[in-house]
Amino acid sequence: MEVLTRAKCLAVAAALVFAVSGQLLLAADAPTENQVQAVFLFNFSRFVEWPTQAFAAPNDPFVIGIVGNDPFGARLDQAVRNEQINGHRLTVRRFRSIADVDNCQILFIDRSETGRLGQILSALDHRSILTVSQADGAAQQGVMIQFATEDSRIRLRINVESARAAGLTISSKLLRPAEIVGAQAKEQ
Amino acid sequence: MAELIRRGWVAGTLILWACAAHAGAAEDSAQTIGELKQLNVEDLMNVQVTSVARRPEKLIETASAIQVITQEDIRRSGATSIPEVLRLADNLQVAQKNSHDWAISARGFNTALANKLLVMIDGRTVYTPLYSGVFWDAQDYVLADIDRIEVISGPGGALWGANAVNGVINIITKSAQDTQGLYAQLGGGSRPQDFADVRYGGAFDSDTHFRVYGKYFDRGSEVLADGGSTSDAWSQGRGGFRIDSTASARDKLTLQGDFYQGSENDQTGGSSDSSGANVLGRWSRRISDESDLGLQTYIDQTHVTDPVAPLIVNGLEFAGPGTLHDALTTFDVDFQHRLRIGAANNVVWGLGFRYSHDVVSNAPALAFLPPTLDRDLYSIFGQDEIALRPNLSLTLGTKLERNDYTGYEVEPDIRLSWIMDPRQALWGAISRAVRTPSRIDQDFKEAAPPNFVLLEGGSDFKSESVLAYELGYRVQIDSRLSASLSSFFNHYDDIRSTTFTPTTLLPFFFANGLEGDTYGLEFSSNYQVSEIWSLHAGYTLLKEHLHVKPGQSDLNDALNETADPEHQFSFRSSLNVLRHAEIDAALRWVDTLHNNSGAVVGTVPSYFELDTHLSWHASDRLEFTLVGQNLLHNRHAEYGFPDPTRPEIERSAYGKFTWRY
Repeated sequence: MEVLTRAKCLAVAAALVFAVSGQLLLAADAPTENQVQAVFLFNFSRFVEWPTQAFAAPNDPFVIGIVGNDPFGARLDQAVRNEQINGHRLTVRRFRSIADVDNCQILFIDRSETGRLGQILSALDHRSILTVSQADGAAQQGVMIQFATEDSRIRLRINVESARAAGLTISSKLLRPAEIVGAQAKEQ
Repeated sequence: MAELIRRGWVAGTLILWACAAHAGAAEDSAQTIGELKQLNVEDLMNVQVTSVARRPEKLIETASAIQVITQEDIRRSGATSIPEVLRLADNLQVAQKNSHDWAISARGFNTALANKLLVMIDGRTVYTPLYSGVFWDAQDYVLADIDRIEVISGPGGALWGANAVNGVINIITKSAQDTQGLYAQLGGGSRPQDFADVRYGGAFDSDTHFRVYGKYFDRGSEVLADGGSTSDAWSQGRGGFRIDSTASARDKLTLQGDFYQGSENDQTGGSSDSSGANVLGRWSRRISDESDLGLQTYIDQTHVTDPVAPLIVNGLEFAGPGTLHDALTTFDVDFQHRLRIGAANNVVWGLGFRYSHDVVSNAPALAFLPPTLDRDLYSIFGQDEIALRPNLSLTLGTKLERNDYTGYEVEPDIRLSWIMDPRQALWGAISRAVRTPSRIDQDFKEAAPPNFVLLEGGSDFKSESVLAYELGYRVQIDSRLSASLSSFFNHYDDIRSTTFTPTTLLPFFFANGLEGDTYGLEFSSNYQVSEIWSLHAGYTLLKEHLHVKPGQSDLNDALNETADPEHQFSFRSSLNVLRHAEIDAALRWVDTLHNNSGAVVGTVPSYFELDTHLSWHASDRLEFTLVGQNLLHNRHAEYGFPDPTRPEIERSAYGKFTWRY
C-alpha cells in the first residue's frame, strides 16, 4: 500500500493555480456544441442545392428556422450576420409551431420536439426544406441531417433518401465525412 | 497545520472561481463563431467541443424528484467507480464504509443492510435477494461508456415494482453506435493504485454496431484512526460487449453481456471472492410517435464467497469460523407497450416474470435455511397519463405483483403535473410502495443449527410499506440558471424490528414491529456562468422519526434501521481554460451520522471533503488527467461504529492517460 504524501497534494494544488493564472493571461476556450452546430447550419446553406421554386421571389431572404426550444441564443444570428447566398440574405426565424413555418429553407427541429417529430415531418412533406435536428435517432426517423456528439466532436448523420424526396441535393463535401443513414421512415 | 491547509484550499478555490468568472464574462462568442466559419467541413468535424450538460427531454415537465448525472458530469468528476459517481446526485446519501463497500440510499434508511433502493443497469435489476440490497463492489462499467444515470428519489413502485420504496437508480450505457473506435485509459496513484480500461467499437454493417471492453483495477487498503492499515485491498477485472442493430426503420435490437471476477481482502483477515456474468437481449419497435413496444429478457449469475468470523459472545464461542458461499441465477422477461388512446390518454402497460434460484453454502456462524430457494415473481402494471388541459396532466398507475413470500402486492400511484409556463412546473404525488421480504427476513440463522441460534428470521415476516406524499417545483429562470426543489412526507409501516421469543427470550427474531414518519427537502441548482464555466449547488434535509408499534418490541428501540445525515450540502464548479484544459472541484459537507445498528451506539462526525479534477487535452486523441479525492483531511470516517477497527477514508490522488481513436 502506498500512502499519499502531502507533497503530492501540494503538487496538485500548484498545478491548479498555475493553470488558472494562465487562463487570465490567455483567455480562450474550446467552442461549445452549440457554436459548432450553428456554424454547421450556416455551412449547409452552401453545401445543399435547393430547387428554384424553394423561393417565392428572387430577393426573398434565405431563412434558417427553429422549432422547439432555441439552443443557440445569439450564436446562430452571429453565424449568419451579413451573409448571403445567390442574392438571398441569410436570416434566422424562430417559429412557435410547425403551422407557422412559411418561407423557410433550413429548419432546425430541437430535441424538445422529439415527441412531435413524426407530425412535424409529415407537415413538411414534399416541401423543399432541409430538416436538421440533434435529437437521438432523428435521421433514422426521416430528418435529413442529424447532429450527434461523439467523443466531444460533432458528427453528421445524413438521411439521403429524405433529402432526395424533398428535391434537395447534398454536396459530396458534406456526405463524405458524414455517416449515411439508409433507413427512411416516411410513415403514412 | 491541517486546518490551515484546509482553509487555504477553500479560500484558494473561491478566489479561482471568482477570477474565472471575470475572464469568462469577457468572452466574445462572436469571435469564436468567426474563427469556426473559416474551417472546412472536415476540420469543423474535428473541432473538439465542450457540451453544455445534456439533460433528457422535458426534464422540467417530469412529475418526480429526478436528477440526471450526464456522461460529462461523470467524466469531469474524476470518479473511478459507480458509487463515487453517485455522489453527484444530491438526492442520494453515499457513505464509503471501507475500501470496497459503500452504503447508498435515498431518503434515509442507509444502514449496513440498506434495502429500499432499486438499482438497474440497462434495465437489468442488480440486487441480492439475500437482503434486498446491492453489492456495490460488484457493479461497474467503463465509466466513459455510460450515457447517463437517472436518480429518482421517492417511490417508483407503480412502474418498477417492489423494492423501489425510497428511490430508483437507472444506469444507462451508450448505444454501440455512439462508442465507435478505440478508447483506452491507463492510470494509477495512491488510490486506485493502477487501472486500465480498453474499449473498441466497430460496425458489422451500416445498421449494426458493436463494442467490446475490458477493465481492470487494483485498489489499496484504507486506514484505521491510528493510521494502521485496514488490510482490505482488492482488485477486479471485467469485460463485456454490446451490439445494437437498427433492423428496420421501426425495429431496434440490442444484445449485451458482461462478466467480472474480483478478490477482496477482509479486515478480519480472510479474503472474499466474487464473480458474475449476464446476457441481455432487447427488442423495441416504434409503431408511431405515440406508440411503441419493448420486449427484454436477461439471465444473470452471481457468486460470492465471504469469510465468516466465529460467533463469540462474552468470550463464549457459539460457532466456529467458516465460509459463506452464495450462487444466484436470475431469469427475467419484461414486455412493455406504450400507446395513445383518444386525444388525451398516454397509456403504458406491461407484464413481467422473474425466476430466481439461490443456492447458499452456509457457515457455522451464519446461515440461510433452506440452503436452496427458488422464487417466482409475476407482475403487471398500467399507467395512464391524462391531459386534463394542455398544461395540466394527471397520471394514474399501479403495479400488481405476485411473489412467493406474501402473495399479491398492490403499488398504486397518482401524480399531478402543472406546467405553469414553459419555464416552470409544479408537481405533486401520492404513492404506495412495498419492500417484499428477502432471505434475511425469513431464512436467516445466526448461528446455524445444530449450534445455538441467537438470532433468526421471522417466519411471519411480511412486506414493509410506505405511503409517500411529494410536492416539487422546477424552474428554468433563464438559459443559464435552473433549480429544482422537492419535498416529501413518508409514512412507513411494518418496518423490520428485532424482537425476542416470549418466555425463553432467545432466539431473537425479525418482526414488523416499527412504524414512523420521515420528511425532508431536496434542492439542486445549476448555473451556467459563462460558456466556459458552470456551477452546481445541492442541499438535502432529512428528518426521521421511527418508533416501536404498540404491543410490539424492539431490542434497539427503533434505532436499527436508520443511519443517515440530517443535512447534506454540495457545491461543484466546472471550468474550461486555455482552450484545452478543464478544472473541476466538488466540495461536500455531510452532517453527523448516527450509527445504531450494532452493539456500540455512536456517531460519525460531520465532515467537509473536496475532490478536484484537472484535465489537459494535449491533442484530439490524448488527454492527461490528475485527480485528487478527499483532499481536506489525512483521513476521515464516513460510516461505522466509533471503535478502533473503524475504517477511515484516506486522502488520495491519481493520474491517468486517455486515448481516443
